[in-house]
Amino acid sequence: MNRAAFILEQGKVAGRLMEKYAKDRRLEADRNNEPVLWARDAKDAKILVKSFMLDDHFKIDFLSDVTAYDNQDGEDGEKRFIVVYQLYSLEKHIRIRVKAAVDLNESAETISDIIPGANWLEREIFDLYGIKFNGHPNLRRIMMDERFEGHPLRKEYPIKQRMGFKDNIDFHLGGHDLKVDSNLLEGQVTGNALPEGDK
Amino acid sequence: MSPKTNVHTLQDFYNPNVLLNLGPSHPATHGTLRVMCRVNGETIEDAACEIGYLHRGIEKLGETKTYHQWMVYTDRLNYCSALNNNIAYAMAVENLMNITPTERCQYIRVICMELSRIIDHVICVAINALDLGAMTVFWLLYHWREEAYTMIESMCGMRLTTTYARIGGMSYDLPDNLLERLWKFCDEMPKALDEVEGLLTSNRIWIDRTRGVGIINKEDALKYAITGPCLRAAGVDHDLRRDRPYYVYPELDFDVVVGSNGDVYDRYLIRLEEMRQSIRILKQCHDKIPMGPLWVNDKRVLIPEKMDVYTKMEVLIHHFKIFMEGIDVPPGEAFTCVEGPNGELGFYIVSRGGPKAWRMRVKSPSFMLFQAFEQSVKGGKIPDAVAHLGSVNIFAGELDR
Repeated sequence: MNRAAFILEQGKVAGRLMEKYAKDRRLEADRNNEPVLWARDAKDAKILVKSFMLDDHFKIDFLSDVTAYDNQDGEDGEKRFIVVYQLYSLEKHIRIRVKAAVDLNESAETISDIIPGANWLEREIFDLYGIKFNGHPNLRRIMMDERFEGHPLRKEYPIKQRMGFKDNIDFHLGGHDLKVDSNLLEGQVTGNALPEGDK
Repeated sequence: MSPKTNVHTLQDFYNPNVLLNLGPSHPATHGTLRVMCRVNGETIEDAACEIGYLHRGIEKLGETKTYHQWMVYTDRLNYCSALNNNIAYAMAVENLMNITPTERCQYIRVICMELSRIIDHVICVAINALDLGAMTVFWLLYHWREEAYTMIESMCGMRLTTTYARIGGMSYDLPDNLLERLWKFCDEMPKALDEVEGLLTSNRIWIDRTRGVGIINKEDALKYAITGPCLRAAGVDHDLRRDRPYYVYPELDFDVVVGSNGDVYDRYLIRLEEMRQSIRILKQCHDKIPMGPLWVNDKRVLIPEKMDVYTKMEVLIHHFKIFMEGIDVPPGEAFTCVEGPNGELGFYIVSRGGPKAWRMRVKSPSFMLFQAFEQSVKGGKIPDAVAHLGSVNIFAGELDR
């Protein structure tokens, strides 16, 4: 795709976003001139992702990234965190970014039921920011140890605060259930079947 | 959390639910990856991956270091193609500041990225073959990896952790004899690839071990949002170098290699062909690279000449300002992706002004690949898992950040 066609395509995307989606939502452009659409809330973000995937003007079919950032200084509204969805279309090669503000006591909506690839990305956000995702199948810590306390990417977390563990975590199959054949095992399970999860 | 009763009886011997732990430091995982499997006989029926053993908080460090200081951390992401990360990061910051590098700089960057792509693919193919017992391939290819590293060493003085790029330019211009060496490399390396192809591509043992093994099909690849050679092996025609071109890629002639089955064998073929395409790009860069300035003429980022720093007061102050205080990046955000050797490597930087990023996000391809691996490893045999893991080329540094 040459540059002119590319700019044209991006203009079309912005036009369509403006016309159909940006009536009561904020539409911005980032430094790469890619559209950033602010969802009204976390639930709205999920609806937006869904409708972009169905919209023939975008043909969004690929999830580039789900991430978040801390909005401690209040630059992006009153709520504490911003969840960011980076969407991509393999056919039209366009990017759309959807942002949703989530407060400390709120939770975001999982999109891992639409795009399973979001599963670990949301776990990472949960681990590092402490944002919970409604309906997530396996919301556990991913980078940090399960016994870790605090959320390191929050701005108030000191950079040098470490937490060491002498031993490894127990052997288990993550959030997956052990399918125990009771005839063979008679109720005995080797190892730890299921973790309590991070609550 | 304590384990429940750990009672072992004779019945465990006939247990169809044996848990097997692979990693975190197993020679076949090439990094600190941990896969916990439930095996029935030799078949993996369920798997769970545990990551984070190499988590160093690089994203958090990105918020506390200046943009220049953080450059060295990008080397430690995918440590086998550090150049690629350096350049992708420099590009992300330049996009934030609205800086376009000079043409010579762009060509040098493309050369660096393609060299690191070759190195990365060499490592993947060679190690994958080594895991499956084909040692000759390892020796054949690692000779060329060594040659590539020696070239990189002559460019920036370092081999593995290069820190070659700077925001607005490169730390050094190309050494005099580099283009000559590059040409020799481009001429002779494909011979090694031919030899490897002769050894593996139609080798019965290799085909038996790789074909139909570790399949990530098109549907799963899109579902789990993997990128790079593994996505192309699944039959999705997607390459950011062509689809969302950056630098001088539109002027260069290369083909995007697409597979069909998404198994280990396809991924191996794709990597081999991509190395040839990279060599094709390198040859064109050799012919087209222009003379001219390396650095953009932008006072915000331009690092002053060393000689002037020693002799002129103002320049010394400017030098100090850049390195002690950092460069001032205007508020805003950008998500910049490049086609890394393993897939889409993205830097999402949110700036609130000043010399430090507010949020430094690294979208690493390995993270998505390992997630897909957790799913696709199920149903295979344990030795297949090793072949599969080698062929998706996951780097713990990039995975855990």
